[in-house]
Parts: sequence; C-alpha cells; structure tokens
Amino acid sequence: MLRYLTIALVTLAAVVAPFVVGPYYLDLLTTIAIYSILLLGLDIVFGYTGEVSLGHAALFGVGAYAAGCLVHHHLLLGGASPVGFDIVIALVLGTLMAAAFGALLALPALRVTGPYLAMVTLAFGTIVGILINEMDFLTNGPKGITMSRPLFVDLRPLADVIPFLKMNMKSMKQLEFYFLCVLMLCLTIFVVNRLIASRYGRAFEALRDSPIASDCMGVSVYKHKVIAFVLSAAFAGLAGSLFAYSGGQYIAPNDFNFEKTIQFLLAVTMGGRKSRLGPILGAIIVVSLPSLLADIHLFRWIAASIAVVAVVSGTYAQLTASPKERIAILIPVLLCLAFFALSLFITNITDYKRAIFGMMILFVVYYLPDGIVGYLRGLLTKVLPQTGKQSIAAGVKGDDAHVWAAPATPRLNDNGSMIDVRNVVMQFGGLKALDTVNLTVKPGTIHGLIGPNGSGKSTMMNVLTGIYRPTGGDIAFAGGTIVGLKSPQIAAKGIARTFQNVQLFGELTVLENVMVGLHHSYRSSLFGVALRTPGAVREEHEARIRAASILGFVGLEALAAEEARNLPYGKMRLLEIGRALALDPQLLLLDEPAAGLTAPDIKELIGIIRKIKSHGITVILIEHHMDVVMGISDTVTVLDFGQKIAEGRPSEVQANPRVIEAYLGGAAAEPVH
Amino acid sequence: MQNLVELVGHELFAFLLRLVHTPAEVYAQLIVSGIAVGMIYGVIAFGYQLTFSTSKTLNFGQGEALMLGALVGLSTVTYLISLGLGRLPAYLLMIPVVMGFGLIQGSVVELLGVRQAIKTKSEAGWIMATIALGIIFSNMAENIWGRDDLKFPSPLSEQPLKILGVQILPMEIVIVIGAIAIMLLVEVFNRRSIYGKAVVATAADRDAAGLMGINTNRVITFSYALSSMIAGIAGVLVAPVTLTGATMGSALGLKAFAVAIIGGLSSGFGVVVGGLIIGITENLTGYFISSGYKDVPGLILLLLVLSLKPSGLFGKSAIKKV
Repeated sequence: MLRYLTIALVTLAAVVAPFVVGPYYLDLLTTIAIYSILLLGLDIVFGYTGEVSLGHAALFGVGAYAAGCLVHHHLLLGGASPVGFDIVIALVLGTLMAAAFGALLALPALRVTGPYLAMVTLAFGTIVGILINEMDFLTNGPKGITMSRPLFVDLRPLADVIPFLKMNMKSMKQLEFYFLCVLMLCLTIFVVNRLIASRYGRAFEALRDSPIASDCMGVSVYKHKVIAFVLSAAFAGLAGSLFAYSGGQYIAPNDFNFEKTIQFLLAVTMGGRKSRLGPILGAIIVVSLPSLLADIHLFRWIAASIAVVAVVSGTYAQLTASPKERIAILIPVLLCLAFFALSLFITNITDYKRAIFGMMILFVVYYLPDGIVGYLRGLLTKVLPQTGKQSIAAGVKGDDAHVWAAPATPRLNDNGSMIDVRNVVMQFGGLKALDTVNLTVKPGTIHGLIGPNGSGKSTMMNVLTGIYRPTGGDIAFAGGTIVGLKSPQIAAKGIARTFQNVQLFGELTVLENVMVGLHHSYRSSLFGVALRTPGAVREEHEARIRAASILGFVGLEALAAEEARNLPYGKMRLLEIGRALALDPQLLLLDEPAAGLTAPDIKELIGIIRKIKSHGITVILIEHHMDVVMGISDTVTVLDFGQKIAEGRPSEVQANPRVIEAYLGGAAAEPVH
Repeated sequence: MQNLVELVGHELFAFLLRLVHTPAEVYAQLIVSGIAVGMIYGVIAFGYQLTFSTSKTLNFGQGEALMLGALVGLSTVTYLISLGLGRLPAYLLMIPVVMGFGLIQGSVVELLGVRQAIKTKSEAGWIMATIALGIIFSNMAENIWGRDDLKFPSPLSEQPLKILGVQILPMEIVIVIGAIAIMLLVEVFNRRSIYGKAVVATAADRDAAGLMGINTNRVITFSYALSSMIAGIAGVLVAPVTLTGATMGSALGLKAFAVAIIGGLSSGFGVVVGGLIIGITENLTGYFISSGYKDVPGLILLLLVLSLKPSGLFGKSAIKKV
C-alpha cells in the first residue's frame, strides 16, 4: 500500500516538476534522469556481480558518439523526418553500439576478476577516449559535435486550452525531451527490476559470492558475466545517446573522461548498491554537486549542516555505544568538523573541487559502504526487524510431492557403471595428487571415499566436477567422457556436489540459494523475463515451490528468508545438499558433509543421505566420521598419497591391514589398481 | 566501396614504404629513447608488484606518487641551488629528501586507503580509495605548484652524446642505470635483511606469516611506503628529461599497469622486459602513426595479455584452491 502511494507521489512530482521549476533546474532534472539510467545499469555490474568497472564513462561516450556521428555525418533524415523518428534511430543505435562494446569488454573478463578486471576496463576506457579524440574524420575530434534537441509534437497551439503550454519553441523542446528521459528511466527501472528478481539476478549475485559454486551449479560464470556487462553497457549507451541530445549544444571527448567514471562509481556507492532507489539518489547527488560547489556560501552552509548532523548523531551514538566503539565513532565526527573548518578557510572553491570530490569518495568508502539506502535499510531493520523478510518468503509453501524431479532412467556407461574413472593422474608441478587412480561407482549406491588428510580425495572431487583437468586418464559418465568439459557442462550432465569449505551464495537468501540450483529448469529468455510472459511467470512460480519443497526436505523451511551467510555452520552444510539436489543430479558428490555437525545433526544427515539414495541418486561420500561412512556406504575406496590402497565392502576395508597402516602409521602401503 | 579499398591499400602501401625507407639510425634513436622511458615504466610497475605481493592490492594512485616525488624534488633542488649549490650536488642531496617523502606518502596511502578495505575484504573499497587519494594528491599539487608544466633543472649536461649515430642524453643513461639499481637494491634488501624476509614471508602466505609473529599490517604499510619511494625516485629520474607537473602522473601510472600485467605481477625480470616493450612500441607508434595514438598499442597489449595469459608473460599461474 505504502509502496503504491510512494510511486503515485513520485510520478505526480515528475509530471508537475517541469511546470514549476525554471529551465535551469529542468535541465538538471533531465540530466539526473539520464544519469540514473546509466547508474542503474552500472549497478548490475558493480552492485550485483561485484566487479569494479572503470570503463562506464567510455560506454556512455560510445552511446553519445553513436548518436553524434549520425547527426554529424547527416545520416539521419533531419527536417524531413516524421515525429521523433531520428532520435529513436539514434537511441537504438547508441544502445546497440554500447552493448557491442560491452560484449567486447567482457571478453577478457573470461579469465580475470577483481583488480585485473578494473584494469581491463580502465585500459578500455582510455583507448576509447583516445579514439574519440584522434579519429576526427569520424568524431570531429576535440572540437566536438553540435547537437540540438528534437521536437516531437508542437503542442503550443493547445495553449489556448491548457495555459501551461504557453511557451517558446526552445522550452517546448526542453519539456518534451525531459519527458522522453523520464519515460526511458521508467522503462529502465521496470526492466532492471524484473531482471534482478529473475534467475539472471540470482546468477549475478551467485557468481559474485562464489564463482566456483555457481559454475558447479550449472550457472556459467562467464556467460552470466558477459550478460551482465552487455546489459549494463546497453543502459550506459542508452543514457549516452540521450545525453548527446540533452544539453542542446554539443558533445566533446572531455564529457567522457576518467573522472566521469569515478563520479559514476561514487554515485552508485553513495546512493546504495543493489537497489533502484540508491543509484537514482546517487544521480541526484552527483548532478547537483557542481552547482552546490559553485557557490562558496552555499558550500559553507552545507558543510555546517553536515557538521551539525554529525555532531548530533555522533553524540547520540556516543551515549549508546560501548567504550571501545567510541573512538571509532569520534573520528568521522571530527572529520566532518575539520571539513567545516576547511570550508571556512577556502576562498576559491573551484580550485579544490577535485579534492573535495576525492574526500567524498573516501568518506563513502569508509563510513557509508552500503550507501545511503543501505544505511537507512539497516536502520529500518533495527527498528522493525520483521520488515522485508516476510515479503520474500510469502506466498510459497513446499510439499513432499515437489522435492524430487520426475524420475528419469539414468544413462549408464557401457560397463553398467554410473561413473568410471580410469587411470586418472592429476599432477601439480612435481606432486602427483592423484596417481593412476581407478574408481568405478555402481548406480544407485553410496560409494564412500576415505583416506588420511592430503590423500587426494578433494582433488578427486575437483577432477570429477571439471575444476581441474586431469593430467592423464579418462572419466566416463553417462556413456561419454567428461574429461575436458567445463564445470557448468558437467553439472548439466547431472553431477552435483557440495564443498568441503562451504561455498554458499552468502548474500542470497536460503531459498534463493536453492533456486540457483534450479537454474537448469528455466526455459524463458532474457526478453521473456523482461516482458514477464506467462511462461516466465509460471516457471518462476514452479521453481519457488520446488525450492521450498527441497528446503522442507533438508529441514530448513523455517529459515527460507534468511541470508545464507547468517546460518549456523551445520545448517550451511544442509543447505549445500539442498542446493545440489536442486540440480536433479544422477550423481551427487558430498565432500565431508558431516564436518562440524553435532551428533543429532549427523543422525539427521544420515537419514537425508539414505533418502537421497532411495530416490535413485548415486552418491559419492567423502567423510572423516568413520561411523557415518561405514554405516551407510555400499562400497568404500581408500586413498593414500594419491593412490588407491583398498576397496571393498565397509567391513572388508576396515579389516584391511594396509588401511590400518595408512591411518595409524606403519610400513608404506603398496598401491592396488 | 572500391575507392575505399583502394584508398586503404594506398595508405597501407605508403606506410610500409615509410617503414622500409626509414634509416636505421632513426630506428636506433627511437629504440634508445624508448628504453629510457620503458625503464621508468618498469620501475613504477615494480612498485605495483611490491604491494601486490604482500597485500593483493595496489595503488591506483601510483602515478601521483611519482608526480609528487618529482615536484618535491623540484622544489628541493630549486631551494638548494638558490643556496648556491651546483646542479649535480643539489640533485644528489635532493634524493634522500624525495625518498623520505615517498616513504611517508606511501604509508599515508596505505593507512587511509587500503588498511580498512583489507580488513573488510572489499575490493571496490581499496580501488576507489586509492583512486580518490590520487585525485586529492593531484588537486593539492595543482594548488601548490600550479597547473603549468615546469622545467626540472638537469643535473647533467643537456648536450646529447653521439654514439654510433644515435643521440643519447646523459640523463637517459642515468635513468637506465638508476632504475636497475633501485630494483636490485630492493631485491637484495628483501633477500638478505631480516625485514626483507618478513616482506617475502608475508608475500608467500600472509596468514602463516602472521602466526609466525610477523606484524603483517606493518609489512603491508612498509611495502606501500617502499613502493611510493621507488615511484618518487622514478619521478626525479624522469623529470629532467620530460617536464614536471601535477598531471604528469596519471598517464605514467596507467602505462605502468600495462607493464606490470605484461610482465606478470610476480616477476621482477618481467617488468624490465614489459617496460622495454611498452617504451619502445610507444615511441615507434608515435613516430610512424601519430603521437596521439602512442598509448594505444600498450593498452591493447594489456588487454590481449589479460585475455590470453592473465598471469603475464613471465608470471607463474596460480592453482585454483577450492
């Protein structure tokens, strides 16, 4: 209810605003709308996939120059064009061009992340800047391109009826352009909202929180990074081509330099990542910043009010905080006071503009890492702990009928095995972590894999799921080899796993973690999601029911709306199993599922593993709790120093002298093949 | 369309003709001056390696550290000359001042920009904070030293030596020697002294080093101090050949990124080779194509290396741990 009221009020304000404010502020509002489009796009990459892009000013420039070159080289219809037709072409071209550049930029992202990716985007941005400057036959170089706002419909004849419309041609164009930008912003919010709530949004966050786990859940990190970059670039391009028309004067290479990129990052961080409101708030701040900094008196007033707010909230915090936190709280308060003192000292503010800008970045990085929206959200959950959580979990109830996918007859290898590992060698430098190991797992069994620390069990898991490519040997699964396949391909073939050191998607909820595992069950396209076709809606609903049912199976339904990182350790392990089950695997690899679990939890775990087996899923179980392994395994294989030293029924293995030697010490064990 | 193909063909032919007809001395000249610039890039990149090895972070404002070093050096030298010292002794006396300044500046960057981000494991945090500090430093420098580029008094003769038909400035020779000397000294320090061993240990495994009683926070601060000190020296080495000014840093810092990536963030030998590659290609591009494009090949090389071999041409690739 409150939500709709807010939307109605904001819409009303956006419609009324241009008739109330003067032309200068209308230009500011237009620019804010344009920046918001770009920042919402940037948030996809920066907020959701967690990558720092230093190339968004360049993408903005690509969009602007796509439109600019069309105008400069007279490739549009100009005066002969029907209403607004020219600008539509320019916007479409700008968006597509920037999206293409985004794809290009994402190519190196295949291999790199973090600071390397920041450098890639920085280099890309610099190259684009140089090209815009130097290729004057195309872009008119540093002189820039003169642009003018288009006229869609001349509404002035209606002024007799609607007195608001009494204005000159220039204002008419300005007004229409403002509404075009607001319309585009609404469209952007609409599309981004839907994408983020869909499996794509979950994939973006999953690859940020744990790239390895998302690959192993069949959600290709590379593919989704490219999608995120292309989407983000497309919005930057749209914003850029709008920007080209917005000033009503001209665009020049300097509009798209490195400083602009930093401004964009500051805006998203300051407003608040991973929200729609945050980037818009950020846009308002960075767009109005130059005018705020232009007037020294205004600037002093702002510095003074910041100082007052800091002192008041600081005093309140001092009274409630523990003594240890007091100094930590004191520092920002002192900094705000120092900032005020500085504002009194400075006489010519434009000289210090960049330094003030830099200090704002530092302040945000230190004291507002979640942005204004994140900070307010934090306050809200402190006051009303239940807000937000319910809405996510509401509306779905799982049941036993939806835990398992429709049973399918598994494809087996020619020799009737589920997976057949033949003479696999995994060598790291001089170390053979796996030394010609053979492992044949029969379908429908639980196959225990044990061995002392460092014997190669986890390496085996990583080889089976494509994280490592074995140095030698072959692995047959479902009638074909899986050596050389990438993790997402292997996951798609039906091998799911859990991780020894838990690899959950920390900032996604428990339910969403399982839904990432269900990624494979979706068929609808990106457009289907954006347009919210009936098929896409149905899929999402079915996936939610399925995920809730799986949570019920592993006993986590009460925690469905909790962020995964807040779970206790034992529950994390159960969630990993639930997420792996969502993949509908033929073969499930459990890497030390009982580690860190309490005795009653272990009992529950054994029950879960037995039920998994009873539904026809083959299990490979690495475990150090011997009672667990020996209790439920049909066959046990023992590794030591990368070699298989024993295999057989649990009782046989337990009696095997070589196994006892390996665990308790003694003469070196001979390998068996 | 045919016209366009013909035109491109003509241009290309003319370009190749120019490549062939350019006398060997010109090539030699371009390469020699490319070596001097390349060594400077190499030294800055070496600074990136130092901090990256200890903390997996690097200073996006390293170019500004170089710029500050050069400007502080300029002021010191000007002051000393005004006291009546000769250019060479003034230059030599200035070096310890710049080194001290660099150490302090680097520590400030680490304490203000990096420490917190390492604690919260926020990648965006340190990237943005070091960029912000860079912006602040360059703005401050603008306010102190002005916006115009300044001439740095050369300690040696500015008359080029003629060796085998190639003109070489004495300062260019000093750059090459000085650059190699700094890198060697830091390597020797790291391998021989107990403090250096703490740096190496932290680089190898920060957690284990911490458990062995090494104050890894201090080591990281120290690596930043060292890295800025090296950048400062690079600044006063290159300043007499180029001009000095508040905006000189950013381009150098960016190209040093390219060098660090091409050479690999873990290979000391790599940055020298990477520096030479970038320095020389940049000079050749500037001469044969246009000075406006001279930064492009280096950056494209950076993109190519990151796409094909992210660990760099000489770096070791790490094993993914799960």
